[in-house]
Amino acid sequence: MRESATTKRGHVWSYCYQCVAGPDLLQVVTQDDVPTEIRPNAPAAAIHPAGGKVCVKAFGLIQKTHNPNRIKTPMMRTNPKKGRGEEPAFKPVSWDTALDAIAARLREIRETGLTCEQGFPRVAASFGGGGTPTAYMGTFPAFLAAWGPVDMSFGSGQGVKCYHSEHLYGELWHRAFTVCPDTPLAELIISFGANVEASGGVCGVRRHADARDRGVRRIQVEPHLSVTGACSAEWIPIRPKTDAAFLFGMLHVILHEIPRERLDIPFLKERSSSPYLVAPNGFYLRDPESRKPLMWDLATGRAVPFDTPGADTALEGEFRVSGIEEGPDDTEWVHQDITVRPAFSHLVDHLSPYSPEWAAEICDVPAARIRETAQAWMDHAHVGETIEVDGMTMPFRPVSISLGKTVNNGWGGYECVWARTLMAVLIGGLEVPGGTLGTTVRLNRPADNRWSSVVAGRDGFMNYPMNPTDRENWHDRSISRHEHQTLVPLAANSPWSQALGPTHLAWMMQRQDLEHLPHTPPPDLWFVYRTNPAISFWDTGAVSEAMAKFPFTVCFAYTMDETNHMADILLPECTDLEGLQLIRIGGSKYVEQFWDNQGFALRDPASTPQGEARDFTWIATELARRSGILEGYNRAINKGAAGVRLFGEGYDFSLDENHPHEVEEIWDHVCRAASAELTDGAESQGLDYYREHGFRAKPFPRKRWYLYPVMVEKNLRFELPYQERLLRIGQELGARLHETGITWWDRQLKEYEPMPHWQDPPGIYDAALKKAYGATVEEYPFWLITARSMQYSWGGNAGIQMIHEVAANVAGHGGVVINTRAAARLGIDEGDPVEVASPIGTTRGRAILRSGIRPDTLLMIGQFDHWKTPFAKDLNTPSMNSLVPMLLDLTDATGSGADLVRVRITRSGGTK
Amino acid sequence: MTRYAMVVDLNRCVGCQTCTAACKHANATLPGVQWRKVLDFETGDFPDVRRAFLPVGCMHCDEPPCMEVCPSTATRKRDDGIVTIDYDICLGCAYCAVACPYQARFKVTERKAAYGKAGRMRHEDTRFDPAMMGVAQKCTFCVDRIDQGIAAGLTPGIDPEATPACVFSCISGALSFGDLDDDQSNVSRLLREHRSFDMHAELGTGPNIHYLYEGAASTDADETGDTPTPALQPDTTGLAAVSPRLQTNWDWRAAGNFIFGGTGTGLFAASALAGLSGPFPRLAALAGLALVALGLFCVWQEIGRPWRFLNVYRNARTSWMTREALAAILLFALGLPAIWLASTALGLLAAAAGLFFLYAQGRILRAARGIPAWRHGRLLPVILATGLTEGTGLFAIGAALAGGGRAVIWALAVLLVLRLAAWHRYRHDLGAEGAPVETLRALDRDRLALGWQAQAAVLGLVALALLWPAAGLLAGLGAMLTGWRFKFGLITRAAFTQGYAINRMPARGAGTSAPGVKPGWTREDGQQRLSA
Repeated sequence: MRESATTKRGHVWSYCYQCVAGPDLLQVVTQDDVPTEIRPNAPAAAIHPAGGKVCVKAFGLIQKTHNPNRIKTPMMRTNPKKGRGEEPAFKPVSWDTALDAIAARLREIRETGLTCEQGFPRVAASFGGGGTPTAYMGTFPAFLAAWGPVDMSFGSGQGVKCYHSEHLYGELWHRAFTVCPDTPLAELIISFGANVEASGGVCGVRRHADARDRGVRRIQVEPHLSVTGACSAEWIPIRPKTDAAFLFGMLHVILHEIPRERLDIPFLKERSSSPYLVAPNGFYLRDPESRKPLMWDLATGRAVPFDTPGADTALEGEFRVSGIEEGPDDTEWVHQDITVRPAFSHLVDHLSPYSPEWAAEICDVPAARIRETAQAWMDHAHVGETIEVDGMTMPFRPVSISLGKTVNNGWGGYECVWARTLMAVLIGGLEVPGGTLGTTVRLNRPADNRWSSVVAGRDGFMNYPMNPTDRENWHDRSISRHEHQTLVPLAANSPWSQALGPTHLAWMMQRQDLEHLPHTPPPDLWFVYRTNPAISFWDTGAVSEAMAKFPFTVCFAYTMDETNHMADILLPECTDLEGLQLIRIGGSKYVEQFWDNQGFALRDPASTPQGEARDFTWIATELARRSGILEGYNRAINKGAAGVRLFGEGYDFSLDENHPHEVEEIWDHVCRAASAELTDGAESQGLDYYREHGFRAKPFPRKRWYLYPVMVEKNLRFELPYQERLLRIGQELGARLHETGITWWDRQLKEYEPMPHWQDPPGIYDAALKKAYGATVEEYPFWLITARSMQYSWGGNAGIQMIHEVAANVAGHGGVVINTRAAARLGIDEGDPVEVASPIGTTRGRAILRSGIRPDTLLMIGQFDHWKTPFAKDLNTPSMNSLVPMLLDLTDATGSGADLVRVRITRSGGTK
Repeated sequence: MTRYAMVVDLNRCVGCQTCTAACKHANATLPGVQWRKVLDFETGDFPDVRRAFLPVGCMHCDEPPCMEVCPSTATRKRDDGIVTIDYDICLGCAYCAVACPYQARFKVTERKAAYGKAGRMRHEDTRFDPAMMGVAQKCTFCVDRIDQGIAAGLTPGIDPEATPACVFSCISGALSFGDLDDDQSNVSRLLREHRSFDMHAELGTGPNIHYLYEGAASTDADETGDTPTPALQPDTTGLAAVSPRLQTNWDWRAAGNFIFGGTGTGLFAASALAGLSGPFPRLAALAGLALVALGLFCVWQEIGRPWRFLNVYRNARTSWMTREALAAILLFALGLPAIWLASTALGLLAAAAGLFFLYAQGRILRAARGIPAWRHGRLLPVILATGLTEGTGLFAIGAALAGGGRAVIWALAVLLVLRLAAWHRYRHDLGAEGAPVETLRALDRDRLALGWQAQAAVLGLVALALLWPAAGLLAGLGAMLTGWRFKFGLITRAAFTQGYAINRMPARGAGTSAPGVKPGWTREDGQQRLSA
């Protein structure tokens, strides 16, 4: 690119946190004060696992900033009627007018009461993927904290587009909101639909590329040959939603065909629930005095409490023991001299029927392939070996299993995450170098420190903040419209719990109340930011209808879209390259974001705001001031709602709580506190420092990637394989619901098993569609699945031309991917217009023929079907979201559904 | 010496297009223009399917065909191996674009905005460079970054600021850049430690993007040689984006030059020869020159910077386009006085210049290495034969209208036979040696023009003309129009690009490499041809 001699060039430091696999650091090049280029942050190469790089999505930010379709002034709706067919007739208004209107509404709500008569918050808010909007909403979290109860239950993808089972069970078992291989050390990774090369961010991509260079064997088990499948040593095209059978088949091989001594016996005895004796009703046999679970000590030939020092516990066998058994709701059984077996023995029996031959029929994968994969697991497990990390000797187990979306949520999710984690436990590979790691916690506290979140609970396991199920404490109504406290004990009680509840129920109940639950009126005010649930959720038609009934919707709006089409007020906030913010980087976060460093990075404005767009922090401050909660807002900032506590030992950069503060003043205080935090109060550089350097970091010890050291230190066990606690809370929950008269959750209650059995997820889907719509497999012979795309996922960037242009180079975008031979059978040619129909709707697109997809499966990448978003609405790209029905029957016990539906495909009219 | 090259580790590449986007940012290319992009290849049949990603762009060849053909010398190769374009002298003929077998060159004539009528964005205005409109453009290996980096004491390929934007941005570490003449450089080391291939190595261009597909230590069960070759795969299902595509750089206007230039020079030659046995046919000769001028006018209409047309004369050393233009000067310089003076001697000299012009046209196509249908050596006789046949046919029309000309009918008959023979040789050898499927299909569709049936009909008319001279009008018309149709089809319908190939599907991690593919290509056995 040639430049004139008068061109003025500059650069600004920023970050990209468009997806949960971030944040990553970048440099914005400006030319004559106009941002023109995105570049990696070269100086960050020293601290960033991917050398300071950012992925393709970040390069869309230049167009995002200058997009002529942006909303550049606040707007108010003039047509009170809402709906897809209603023109909202927005008219531009001043910021004062817009903010005063919102503040008036907020004050009115405060005066009426923060919650409605049913107990639900009158203010609701929906934000986009995985908490990433907080990296762009400045001090708005402080506004929300100061406000009080806010309903976050209106999902925009949570539950159906996330790794839901992994989030919940992962947190329970090993503080793993997200689970990841220890890729830097891995030798074998079995990936069930985890598309790390598309959704693992630059850290994931770089680490897996390095692993391939080392010769890692990655086996991709997935119905289509995804980008990740392409980058794997092997591809196994499994039948959709049968992953649990494959995993069970492998467990069968390991437990029934491989010599027991090849397992990590010491790990099983000392770090798992394997030796715990199971009483006749399925609960642990306990010592009557200490009420601790008992194990059989081979050395002394008697049962001892689980924490008896020096015990050589039995994993298998039958033993005559006396003790008590604690059931649900304080039920207690006293057993005298009964025959009991350790949990491990039960596990061996439990998996006995699930041979590779059994799995082969279900998965459409040869039994030999399943058996060989299990053998490979053992061959690469290095059981007995150790490695030194930061001076600490730990087990070395370079094998792990990744689970992707759809595998990980809805029916079958529990089986998959249980089997995956158990595979690691059997070879001692959970939370050890090379093995299966959790990388962040969200439901346990503190959320920024996995080690500190390891707190001893009962029975030698970590504690877990379950929503209570006992008679006294069970919530017969929740603080959220999706009833996560009432229905989902595992959703826990953290600030993130609402997002992990059954978010589709909030939408479903806008249409029809659920029997014996309180009526759920719409929120009096709904904030929406960086999300478009009218496109990104399932059954988008129903979601759109529901939101059209909300009385007052405030959207922080970038361009018009399908959700803010229903809004009352649109507020144009400074976008990624225009706003100011400091965020935490490094340490151990989502996906592959576990670093050797931790610190802070600045998002420094690279552009003057377009039109009347305002910095989010300014908006939050003004909303707080005008709605009369300024003091609480400033206090929340001081307490860390902007990401950093402004005071600590030896320093205090707190803001005066009684006055509004300018944006730069607030962030200068935050920067100073961040510097102090990093230096234990020794330094206090402010905004200028971060503007010059972009980031600041200090080392993060690698041993903290692993929970193993703290588990050993606290002498805790991972709660696997046996799920006594889940069995108990499931029975208690069932009792509570039945006492209330609720029987529509009975199918979900069956999932509270101590060890999950094969539930036939495909069969559940088929039966649900038949029950709801009379649909048969013969009518809808294909499974429709989706996949994330690095170019689009989480980006909200379907309206960015450059992203569309470069994404088109990756096969599968923009149409319906169908197997070449299946297409030939149906008379469908490359590029033919096709119609894909599920029992609830149809969508149209172009056929994309590929050999790398099962003949019984169709694929639609990303989320499209836009009808309002400029540019995107002209792409004519199909999406599965409008085809997937929201049904209770398709909701598992954790409240999630899967991105999957039965469809048929036909060539439609029109010309190529 | 320094010889810059790029090395792509296909085991690392994930096809994310970050390099594509970074290139667009660094070079401010307009929507739809991608100097660097990553292709998506799939091979095999379910369930034994492989997929791989292949970054492509200008290969900065050792023997760049684009430079050889460039008439303006805008395209040059620096001492460090980087192939550059001087936008200030490029005339936008797009000859380089059809000469490049890697489809790496673009000619942009319309200033497209990303959001069309919604308006141009600030950065689009800030970064617009009018010098790049109507001229050839392509990857420069970010030569400015390299030069500025070296000036600042940095090392290209090592220091980010001195490294091409695509390499700097590559998130998987698949792209490396460095000096191949330095044994210790990153790229030299990578090539030593891995097995690699060059795309379209058989064309002899010496590309400088090298693709690693497997570690050197691994054993490759399928591959015995050091340079794996891809299997030709006629079926392009699912692979349209990587298969040969119809070139769009030269359209009917370029075809017009070949049509009218060929017919005009043929007509002038026929006129000059006729002058040996009678008065110099000034009108026919003038018509010949007019046709050549019309052809040149057509092609002038096509070039992106028409008022730089004189730059076409800057590369007589290697460019057949320059030579064609020089021949045109000679043709007119001799032909017009010949007509003015009715001088057969001058006319014969001018005809010789015309024949050289016609020969240059054939060589222009021969040098267009990016278009398999054009670059084949057997096409040159066809171009020569059809130009002369068309010209003679037109002469025969005139002769018929004038009521005589048995000799010209005989000449026409001989030329028709020669043309037919040349065509069949060309078509056979092209298919036998391998060509894009769609090229062969297009040629066979247009076979009506030079195939047996049409030519037999024309020869029948010739035979009739020997008995009944007035039929010479139809015979001449047939000879001319079938030639025109052939050339029009050759330029606008059969001109499929080379397409892309992946010589070997890479080993991924512990996996093994597998045979590669060249989609959209076929090789015909014996007499068997693709049906149209």
